[in-house]
Amino acid sequence: MIKLENVSYTYMSGGPFEKKALDNISLEIRPGEFIGIIGHTGSGKSTLIQLLNGLIKPDGGKVIIDGQDLSDKNTDIRAVRFKVGLVMQYPEYQLFEETVLKDICFGPLNMGLSQKEAEDRARFAANMTGLADELLDKSPFDLSGGQKRRAAIAGILAMEPKILILDEPTAGLDPAGRDEILFKIRDMHKRLNLTVLLVSHSMEDVAKLADRILVLNSGRIEMFDTPDMIFRNSTRLREIGLNVPQITRVADRLREAGVDIPEGIYTTGDAYRALLPLLKEADGNK
Amino acid sequence: MLKDITLGQYFPGNSFIHRLDPRTKILIIIAYVVLVFMVQNFIGYAALALFLALCVGVSGISPKYLIRGLKPILVFIVFTGLFNLFLTPGETVWSFGILKITREGIRFAAFMVLRLIFLILGTSLLTLTTSPIALTDGLERLLAPFKKIHLPSHEIAMMMTIALRFIPTLLDETDKIMKAQSARGASIDSGSIFARAKAMVPILIPLFVSAFRRADELATAMECRCYRGGEGRTRLYKLKYGAVDALGWVYMAVLAAAIIFINIYFGSF
Repeated sequence: MIKLENVSYTYMSGGPFEKKALDNISLEIRPGEFIGIIGHTGSGKSTLIQLLNGLIKPDGGKVIIDGQDLSDKNTDIRAVRFKVGLVMQYPEYQLFEETVLKDICFGPLNMGLSQKEAEDRARFAANMTGLADELLDKSPFDLSGGQKRRAAIAGILAMEPKILILDEPTAGLDPAGRDEILFKIRDMHKRLNLTVLLVSHSMEDVAKLADRILVLNSGRIEMFDTPDMIFRNSTRLREIGLNVPQITRVADRLREAGVDIPEGIYTTGDAYRALLPLLKEADGNK
Repeated sequence: MLKDITLGQYFPGNSFIHRLDPRTKILIIIAYVVLVFMVQNFIGYAALALFLALCVGVSGISPKYLIRGLKPILVFIVFTGLFNLFLTPGETVWSFGILKITREGIRFAAFMVLRLIFLILGTSLLTLTTSPIALTDGLERLLAPFKKIHLPSHEIAMMMTIALRFIPTLLDETDKIMKAQSARGASIDSGSIFARAKAMVPILIPLFVSAFRRADELATAMECRCYRGGEGRTRLYKLKYGAVDALGWVYMAVLAAAIIFINIYFGSF
């Protein structure tokens, strides 16, 4: 379980460039939840997730993971990092080993596992992220963009974290690569029963995947609720530089135009189910 | 940790020092460095300190910030001090086992440490008050006469501009990669020296890869804007000497005269 109590974080504190990145954040995330995190650029998303595995320490407040306070001197931060897997933005830039397999093994070996165990985990993780076996002996620098991204995610997954945090895992990928990564993330969430935190700029993605959505605005929590409740506030979302999914906008316009379509359309699936009976009806009337 | 590095950072301002022509500043700094090595006694260092304090006061840069720039090389300063303290032969004043401190050692250590500190403070004052562009512009102009002996002054200046420009970028990048590898359980700041050196590999390789990638992208971007070296290149802002520069030189001349006088009058001790 993840718990934040009145957490604040300031960059370059005391200097002329002081910037408050997070301001008095309190929240709780239950095991097994899929959380989407959205917010304007500079709203504190990346800072927030770096606090969760102790890469940075809060200036005030407490970060508690499974009952362990990360600011406590007795907490083994490395053990927490194995539990909270963080995939940073553009994670392919952290690849460094000779082969993909060795690179994925880096995390498990740091945990003190044997070579054999590490490789088993690496193969499993590669499989989970959809990396073909024959790629594992290649140099990571010879892979395509999407494959590199997957290798980097596998490197985190091989540590078998209970919580997986991904910072814009689909940034800069082509549509096919994007869909595949998101599909794999959903798959991992279900099959491995992971708690997933997904930072994204795509309203469509979080609407499709998340149980709850955390909306950040200038370092504060603006909303933290189910997609249904969040996307009802389209005016407020637009004010803070966000939006509702495109399909929701289409549904809204249709409703304005007099089509009898219910509220709460957030995915193309929703729209499909709402529009199909209407179209059939129209067809029958002809 | 990486945030402490003030090297190459520029504080915009409009003080007397900011308004000096970069060429004047570079030449004054060279003269200053020569003076730092010419000084033979502590009164001379007091004179230097006074000069530097005046410059800092005029520049409007917080002394705290300037001193913070010493932090990354603190280890270096301490080691230099200790080596000179213990390893200079001469009249022993204190000894413990094989360790002994000599009178000459104390004097030497103090001189070395003071020299290093004055060098760093002086040169950081230059980079803090001069934008990297102005700095390399000044350097290019100063080196221009050497073109006659085929010194590629424009290219040198361009390389420096690019190097300075990428210091913050690469620091940022290093920070990110270190975080990414820490997230995978790499322990960067613990363990024996060998373990630490080995732990640098996962940071250095991605850093080099990205530096080469950036260099490649930059070259393409420059070529897209028809960059073809310094031949026939005109500039938007031309450097001009003004009254402030003359004043700067007068100030420097007074210091040099003072140092030489102190050296002759008090001798070395």
